[in-house]
Amino acid sequence: MDKQLIVRGVTRMEFKRFITYLIPWFILLGIGLYAMYLVFRYGLNHTNMDNRFAFGLWIYFDLAIIALGAGAFFTGLLLYVFKRHEFKSVINSAVVIGFICYSGAIAALVVDVGQPLRAWFTLYRPNAHSMLAEVTFCLTLYLFVLAVEYVPIVLKNRKLKQIPSFLVFEFKLHTFMPILAGIGALLSFFHQGSLGGMFGVLNGQPFAFRETVFVFPSTFFLFVLSAIAAGPSFVLLTTWIVSKISGKRVVTKNVFMSLGKISGILLIVYVLFKSIDSLIWLNKTSPAVGFSAADHYGFAPFGIWILSVEIIVLGLIPGLILISKKLRAKTPWLLTGAVLACAGVALNRFVTTIQTLSLPTLPFADFLTYVPTWEEVAIFLMVIAYGVIVYSFSFRYLPLFPQERELNRR
Amino acid sequence: MDTRNKIKSDNRKHPRYGMVVDLDRCKGCGSCSIACAVENNQQPATPDMNNRTGVTWMRLYKVHNGEPFPDSRAVFVPMFCQQCDDTPCLYVCPQNAVELDPMTGIVAQIPERCFGCRYCMAACPYEARYFNWWDPVWPEGMEKTLNPDVSPRMRGVVEKCNFCHGRWQKARAKAAAEGRRELREDEYVPACVESCPMGALTFGNLDDPDSKVSKLVKDPDTFKILGQFGTKPKVYYRTTRSWVRRAVNRDVYSEKKEKVHG
Amino acid sequence: MFPWVHEFRWEIGHLIFTGGFALVLVAILTAITLVFKKVYQIYKRRQVEKILWQATFEDFPSQTRTCRHAISGVLKQRVCNNHFECGACAVHKQLIEHGIPEKVLAAAGDYGNMEIFGLNIPLDRMYHRGHTWVKQDDEGNYLVGLDDFGKRLIGKPEEVVLPEIGSRLYANGTAWKVKRGKADTRILSPVDGEVLETGDDEKGWYLKIKPAADNSDTSHLLKSGKEVKAWFMKELERLQFALASDGIGVSLADGGVLIDDLPKSHPDADWDGVYGEMFLEP
Repeated sequence: MDKQLIVRGVTRMEFKRFITYLIPWFILLGIGLYAMYLVFRYGLNHTNMDNRFAFGLWIYFDLAIIALGAGAFFTGLLLYVFKRHEFKSVINSAVVIGFICYSGAIAALVVDVGQPLRAWFTLYRPNAHSMLAEVTFCLTLYLFVLAVEYVPIVLKNRKLKQIPSFLVFEFKLHTFMPILAGIGALLSFFHQGSLGGMFGVLNGQPFAFRETVFVFPSTFFLFVLSAIAAGPSFVLLTTWIVSKISGKRVVTKNVFMSLGKISGILLIVYVLFKSIDSLIWLNKTSPAVGFSAADHYGFAPFGIWILSVEIIVLGLIPGLILISKKLRAKTPWLLTGAVLACAGVALNRFVTTIQTLSLPTLPFADFLTYVPTWEEVAIFLMVIAYGVIVYSFSFRYLPLFPQERELNRR
Repeated sequence: MDTRNKIKSDNRKHPRYGMVVDLDRCKGCGSCSIACAVENNQQPATPDMNNRTGVTWMRLYKVHNGEPFPDSRAVFVPMFCQQCDDTPCLYVCPQNAVELDPMTGIVAQIPERCFGCRYCMAACPYEARYFNWWDPVWPEGMEKTLNPDVSPRMRGVVEKCNFCHGRWQKARAKAAAEGRRELREDEYVPACVESCPMGALTFGNLDDPDSKVSKLVKDPDTFKILGQFGTKPKVYYRTTRSWVRRAVNRDVYSEKKEKVHG
Repeated sequence: MFPWVHEFRWEIGHLIFTGGFALVLVAILTAITLVFKKVYQIYKRRQVEKILWQATFEDFPSQTRTCRHAISGVLKQRVCNNHFECGACAVHKQLIEHGIPEKVLAAAGDYGNMEIFGLNIPLDRMYHRGHTWVKQDDEGNYLVGLDDFGKRLIGKPEEVVLPEIGSRLYANGTAWKVKRGKADTRILSPVDGEVLETGDDEKGWYLKIKPAADNSDTSHLLKSGKEVKAWFMKELERLQFALASDGIGVSLADGGVLIDDLPKSHPDADWDGVYGEMFLEP
């Protein structure tokens, strides 16, 4: 039965081995579900968040995986709208990764809010001025789009596609992909931006508050840029990891290099704007309300080093590695660049969420630190385990990499 | 912004309630906190809670001048919702659970609409918003002390000071029964103001030039904490001691900030 | 969200916000509705088999999709983007009009037998790229069978599921199904028509088909000796490739004659994958 579900002409590990490899992930999933039960049953006191540290690990995690999941919409945009056909070989995988990232983020959000059953209020009665309302709308719609994009991949499963109506539906749905890719890009632009805008509009948090560009704070555009810069790198990394674990070549080298190149160019652009933004913020925006750089970076461990690492080590350096044709042709350099790029966007999201809340705004308030509880970590790991499991099953039973069959001939 | 338009379009002149806290008078006894908790049915603290997970709409900070023993001085700063006119928490709430009441200028938190995303708590520079991390539990017998004019909040929503809105409604109902539309100055006073033995809290209509509070606001010793953020708070603080003013407020043009401990 | 819901505000910002999202939602739902409508139309117009073929075709690697004129050498290189439907292909039409494949097609009607690596390829019939042949009998009906290459690939099948008599077949749609060991595949129908009679291996043909009145196009089938030969050479090359897929590598270099029952002589090969490759069912 299992063999009947695997893509024709490719080999996958024995079913028993496959399940054995997934057991640790299922255990993590189980622990996370138990933590989820505790939070739902007894409330958010099972976390170490408090009245000032109102956002913790989960919000950071949401922002980070949504940024990394940008590879889905961006690859789709490049393939279907800009007709970069080399990305056809990774689009299915990118869609699955995007779906995992977004659904995982929403799962973490559902645990994070105090009354998840009221989440629909935002859709029914939104406050149009709230960045979070925009995020909610875009995330909901985009997850829907991602699900619709995922459906054709699922219907391409060997057994499912033998049902004629499924394959006919898949084929016709596929003709609408450019439209869905365009809508996905629009929605992603707004919610990636609004996630940044969420913090950029906080005029009560001088560490997060930024100048307005057009109608949005500058972080709106910086978040979009950093997400589309890191997204292709994340697709590159996951594809490489899949190729290593399965021991197969799944895409050709030039696809890796194209992803790296796009990531590199966008990173350089991002670093440029991020630097300008930081200078304006440190010299104009923040001093105007009485906060100097020392107020933001005077508390250990968040020294000015964190800004330099974010811009130079995890921004400029991977950018330069990835735009250099010579360096990105070498796999270790390409991977280093991609890892640093992803780490850079993760650090940026960390600074935006955690550092903002740990810094005091009242002159007599303290600098705060926060350590997540095991429940918070368990739910964080649960989402990762969920991703690994969904991806593993997708890789085993769905044609994620159309080039795989051809590339694995002797 | 919508609410402000409403205020303007309304012909009647509505009060704009505000408060002045005299830091020179406050001795840090905490009566205001207790009166507030009792008046507003705040969930009683349990041993599991700490000072940052419990609910205290009215919170006292002890601020030192940082000098060694003989010169050591401390001041108590009652901190609660500053009822900003340009309300940062109102703009960020995705589902309109925060409203600026055009009738009173009070910033209301509507727990029934709140789904506990806590974005407003991140937006508030005064740390004046509280989340119900636990299911509220009143110990046996204590539920008899609950105030019937204020509904208790459930777990998972945000709450904060609303200038004892229940008292305002009660006072208004009473005035309406007597055929009046306006409230007299002494008719509506929040519990904290009423309970303060030092008279450190002054409450009233900021738009009424004759009110005590609006006279105090004009005093040069009165200031807003973090007023430079432009959130236009309606709670003012007052002190004649320069170190206190420096310690509790971060003036934009002040020199290097003194080292203070919270 | 809606004007009748409390807190709806008639402000520009609010209207752009809610209107924008309503538009996006409508766009997504419209797209999905259109998909369902198109699927319904496909069923109504009985184009299911055609669409299934087109959907399958999209998954072929470019090797499999090589244009017949590239195989025969008329064109240097070309990948078919027309689902092997030469009748609807502009390039094919152009080539015919300009007489370029003349030398290729000239051999049409060159009756006789051809032998390539031990494969017996009679040239009194037309070949479909899914390894079936078509031959018109005296009454004008089509006889359809598996070519020698296909026969040797399948060897002795354990199960053959033939269509019912009277059922309608479509060109490039499923004609019948075959099972051999762990592998199974469907055989594509080379022509449109109604099944009149079913045969078997003994008879040498599997189906007798009455040509469809609305479509008797056979331009997609290979006819001339030169073209057929080039194609079979290409197929042998593809088979070699398919057998070398990961896992077990099998070489056919054993004297140049294809064995009668390939699965029997190479039981370790991934025949399921090979069938998918050679019978155009990825």
